[in-house]
Formats: sequence, C-alpha cells, structure tokens
Amino acid sequence: MISQSNSYAIIPGERFVAGEIFAMNEETGRGKISRDFLALSMLALTALCLGLLLNQMRNHPLPLVYQSKAEGLQRAVERISQNKAAPVSLAGKNLTLETFREIVEQRKALILDARPEIFHRLGHVPGAVSLSREDFENRYIKLRGILEKDKNQPLVVYCAGSDCEESELVQQALAKLNFTNVAVFRGGWAAWTQAGLPKETP
Amino acid sequence: MDTGRSSKGNPVSTILDNPRFLHILRWIIAGIFLYAGIRKIQAPEAFADSIATFQLLPKELINLLALGLPPFEIIVAVLLLTDWKKREAAFSILVTCIIFTLALTQGLLRGLPIDCGCMGSGEPSTWHTGLSLTRDLLLLSTAWIVYRKS
Repeated sequence: MISQSNSYAIIPGERFVAGEIFAMNEETGRGKISRDFLALSMLALTALCLGLLLNQMRNHPLPLVYQSKAEGLQRAVERISQNKAAPVSLAGKNLTLETFREIVEQRKALILDARPEIFHRLGHVPGAVSLSREDFENRYIKLRGILEKDKNQPLVVYCAGSDCEESELVQQALAKLNFTNVAVFRGGWAAWTQAGLPKETP
Repeated sequence: MDTGRSSKGNPVSTILDNPRFLHILRWIIAGIFLYAGIRKIQAPEAFADSIATFQLLPKELINLLALGLPPFEIIVAVLLLTDWKKREAAFSILVTCIIFTLALTQGLLRGLPIDCGCMGSGEPSTWHTGLSLTRDLLLLSTAWIVYRKS
C-alpha cells in the first residue's frame, strides 16, 4: 500500500529541506523588517547631515533652535536697527550701471522715472516711481509727501537712455526746488534692460 | 492549476501584482515626495513654523526636523525609483506616513490649528487638516502596497 503523503513531504529528506526553507523565510521576514529599520535610520541620519550642510550655505541659515514667529520678527527688528546705513551722497553725479544697480537693489535712494507715464507702466526699474518730465507738475504734486519730507534724501533720475534729455531736465527742476542730493543714471532704461535686469510693472 | 491567473485568482490581486502598475505607483509616490521635498527646502522657516503648529516637538528638535526632512524626502523619492533600494525606500515612506498620520490625528483630536506644510505652507484650519489626513492615508495605503510587493 502506498500511503498518500503530504504534497511537500514525498521523501523524508525533502520534507526536512522544505521545513528548513520555510524557517529561513520566516527569519528573513523578521530580519527584513529590522534591516529596513536600519536602512531608515541611515537615510534619516544622512538626510539630517545633508540638511545641516545645505543650511550653512544659505544667506540666512536657520538657527538650530526654533524661534516662534514673534521671536523671529524681534530678531529681524534688531538686525534692521543695527544696520542703519549712512545716506548716500549723490549730488550731481552721473552713475554707472553697476552703481545704479547696487542703489536699486539695496534701496539706497528713491528712483525716479522721467519717461512718459505710459512707458513707466509698461515696465520700470524695480521700486521706481514715475516723475515724468512731460507731466512734471501733476506727478510732483502726487509725490509731494514722499519727496518733500526730506529734500536731502538721495534721488536718482533715469529716462530711456543716453540719448534722451528728460532725466537731466528733471534733475535740474528738482535742483531748483532745492533738492540737494539728485543724481542721473544716463544709461537709462536701455542700459538696464540690455543687462537683462528685472523689470517691474505696477 | 489555471495558467494565466494569479495564485489568488481575483482581479484586484491581478492588478496589484502587475509590475507595470507598481511601477506607476512608485513613480507617483516618488513624484509627490520629490515635489514636497523641493518646496520645503525652498522655505525652511515656513516649514519650521508649520511643524511648530503641531505642538508636538520641543523647540530644540523643530528646526532639526525642518532641515532634515526635505532632503530625506528627496533621497527616498530617488531611491524608490531605483530597483536597488526600492524596498527600503518604500519602507521609509511607509513609516513616514504612519508617523505623520499619528501627528495629524493628535492635532485633530486636540483641536489644534495645524498647518500641514506638506507642499509649502497653507492656511491652518481644521478642514485643511482633515484633507491632509485623507491625502496622507491614501499615500500610506499606496506606500503599503508598494512595500509589500517589493
């Protein structure tokens, strides 16, 4: 009589092997999870190191200890108060593109756009306000508050480019109104855009 | 035994075992994590603020998490797409989702105005948090599938 043995145990030796394989699989199952946890920890550690490294490369790296929004703002206020730059003296100067760009980016002066307002609206130097030669009186009245609060504040005028005279005319008008610190950027809008610098639209 | 049918013999398993389907799932998860990681790296302070809204971690750990999690997400996303470490990556994603689920749930239970901060900061609100939880559970189930089938 041939006994019907289990499908995986035809020969005693084979059953042993099958059992062994089964046991190995179980172990590997548990082993897999702890290996996966290990991998996770390694990944987390690597990521943390990478993150800290990247942080140091930032302009304003995140401090290691978190500050609430209120604290962060307080620190910003302190930094600003310490950073009071001396006002720039521009009287009568003709500026190069580099100097002009620095003034614009660091907001060291109020930039005045002497071109007709429509051109100003189509695109102007970031932060510039329109004080067009052609509508000077009306524009001046609108800007009176900002301008007249300090007639010694640094101002820079520009127009379309080196061929237009509007920036100089506006500068002279401002000088007659007793503004003491006005410069002209002769390169104008042409130089700014040719250098690929950003435009602003209202 | 029928050939051409999976051993479990039902259509859901057939889909779940399809390598192309898993491939697509991995790409979806990896894409989400890559996008989320990049957005967070761009705005670390905002991300730290959103971690703070969970009111779980002490301030010593918040910034460390804010700095470490985005690179973690990016690395894991890339690894998920390799054949070499996709199982470990899927596991990491799974664990991340579980932890996040727990964090969100405790937030909902405590009624905290949580800003998920998952893909850049949004406005904190309970409804938003519920949405984040749903999204996260979906991600979790997907990660589970990918993990088990790796």
